[in-house]
Amino acid sequence: MKKFIGLLAVAICVLTSCKEDESSSLNPGTLNLTFENRIAESPLILGETYTNTSNENYRVSELKYIISNITLRRKDGSLFIIPPEESYFVVNQAQASSLTINLDNIDAGAYESVSFGFGVDPTKYPIQSGTLNFIPTAEETGMLWTWSAGYKFIKFEGDFTSNSTQEESPFLIHVGSHGANLDNYREITVPLENTIDEDFMIAEDIQASQHINFDIAQIFDGPNLISLENKSDIQVDPENAPKIASNISTAFSIN
Amino acid sequence: MSRFIYILLFITVLGCATDNGEYEALEQEENAITENPLLDFTVPSNFPEATYDISQNPPTEKGFELGKRLFFDGQLASDGVVSCGFCHIQEFAFTHHTHITSHGVDGLIGTRNAQPLHNLAFMKDFTWDGASTFLDSQPIIPITAEVEMNETVSNVLNKLRNDPNYPTLFAEAYGSEGITSERLFKSLSQFMVMMVSANSKYDKWERGEAITFTQEEEDGRMLFQAKCASCHAGTLQTDQSYRNNGLPLDPEFNDMGRENVTGLIEDARKFKVPSLRNIEITFPYMHDGRLSTLEDVLDFYTDGVTISDNLDPLLIKADGTLGIEISQEEKIKIIAFLKTLTDTDFLNDDRFSEF
Repeated sequence: MKKFIGLLAVAICVLTSCKEDESSSLNPGTLNLTFENRIAESPLILGETYTNTSNENYRVSELKYIISNITLRRKDGSLFIIPPEESYFVVNQAQASSLTINLDNIDAGAYESVSFGFGVDPTKYPIQSGTLNFIPTAEETGMLWTWSAGYKFIKFEGDFTSNSTQEESPFLIHVGSHGANLDNYREITVPLENTIDEDFMIAEDIQASQHINFDIAQIFDGPNLISLENKSDIQVDPENAPKIASNISTAFSIN
Repeated sequence: MSRFIYILLFITVLGCATDNGEYEALEQEENAITENPLLDFTVPSNFPEATYDISQNPPTEKGFELGKRLFFDGQLASDGVVSCGFCHIQEFAFTHHTHITSHGVDGLIGTRNAQPLHNLAFMKDFTWDGASTFLDSQPIIPITAEVEMNETVSNVLNKLRNDPNYPTLFAEAYGSEGITSERLFKSLSQFMVMMVSANSKYDKWERGEAITFTQEEEDGRMLFQAKCASCHAGTLQTDQSYRNNGLPLDPEFNDMGRENVTGLIEDARKFKVPSLRNIEITFPYMHDGRLSTLEDVLDFYTDGVTISDNLDPLLIKADGTLGIEISQEEKIKIIAFLKTLTDTDFLNDDRFSEF
């Protein structure tokens, strides 16, 4: 009889373990992150002329960058991590649909911030990081270096004139990591905020969205001053690439 | 009473399987385990620890076979001909001989000599300049390089998806439908990770397996230790560093080597110290294949080293002259030792053969 009770207990445990966790009554929701590329306070317009603090006039013909490893922080401090294999995106200024990243199946609750990677974390094993399935996207958008099994984190191109050269010359800025030698990947965190002073909620039937501004002017005029006249072709550049990566990491904001 | 127990057991076994879908999934999983066994990847006792994280991509029978098929499939190239195996031929330890630098699609000639493929699970990074940090992403380089396979990964995937066989082979290897780049590269890695060459005379000697070197080989080993092993260090004969060994710059290629990856001027003309496993049959030698015999290589190290800003200091002798001091007699002995690194079991291993 003892055996019978024992088995009964096992059966009950097994059966009850199948019950849905009912602690959270709200169903998962979606979050739209919209990246707005700007020059200071105005939206960036491809082909328009802007002036940096080095007094160089520049026009942007192409702006693409990789956003990855998105993690949401709940109000209670715990994290909701977007599955890595679904967490790699190319934002392309010339393609409006790419400016908004749609994240779904996010646990319902109150959130306070979002973190994301700028580029691809080179320290992570490719299978673990989920980047292997990102390769075709990166390739089709020109974000792969052909000579290396690595990514361009940002592709920023156009032309410029400076005080000394009035003739337009091209500029080309491709920043990525340099093998295992130099890591230009940066992690960025911005708050999640409502226009009304309430918790930022994600749940089914809520249209949760956040605008994230990327001030392109900061690439030149961030903490490190970058002058195109000084160097207009920055690719595998161990001096300037980390400076630009640092500038970029301070260029994101909301509002 | 016993009937009661059986009913309860039945309920217990039924467990969480609330619908048939889950039941089928379980059955499939069991089938997958029995029909697609894990392969045994063992680190040879005289080897260092593997750098490749096997737990992230454990080779299976079907994954390995798929990787092998992909390795020898010209569909990975734009011309449908130049497969990985086109330049990496097993009997030459997966390098090739017919050209100095390796050639790709449309008869285009590359700037470098295809490296042999063996013991890749023990390497830190890949290619002559270390442009790939992970084995799983290395194949991107040859697949997309214009002078190699000149293809895109996306198009390779399209071709495989439209192939009559690959959809089934991928499903069998991974337990579900779908041809993705992750699965493509995982399969290639499974094939390459299993290519362990560890049965040369030298290995057997190192493991103490009742084998003796001839006097010439033993003398050569001692000389190698004294004159070569500061760079060609350890069981795999490489410290995996990048060095400028004093090869004169070939203006045709103007290959800056490691500098291409790091952007550092001090890395100009540095190339990876290669493993010397199977060196006897992996000619021609050096990153651009400019030397055709082992005698040529040793002659280069005694008489051919040229000065440049970052020539490796180990190649500058105390009196300021360049190169390594090796007599003709010593060279013969060193070569005799180098030939003990040939692993005929590996070169003839059916598991890695195209046919």
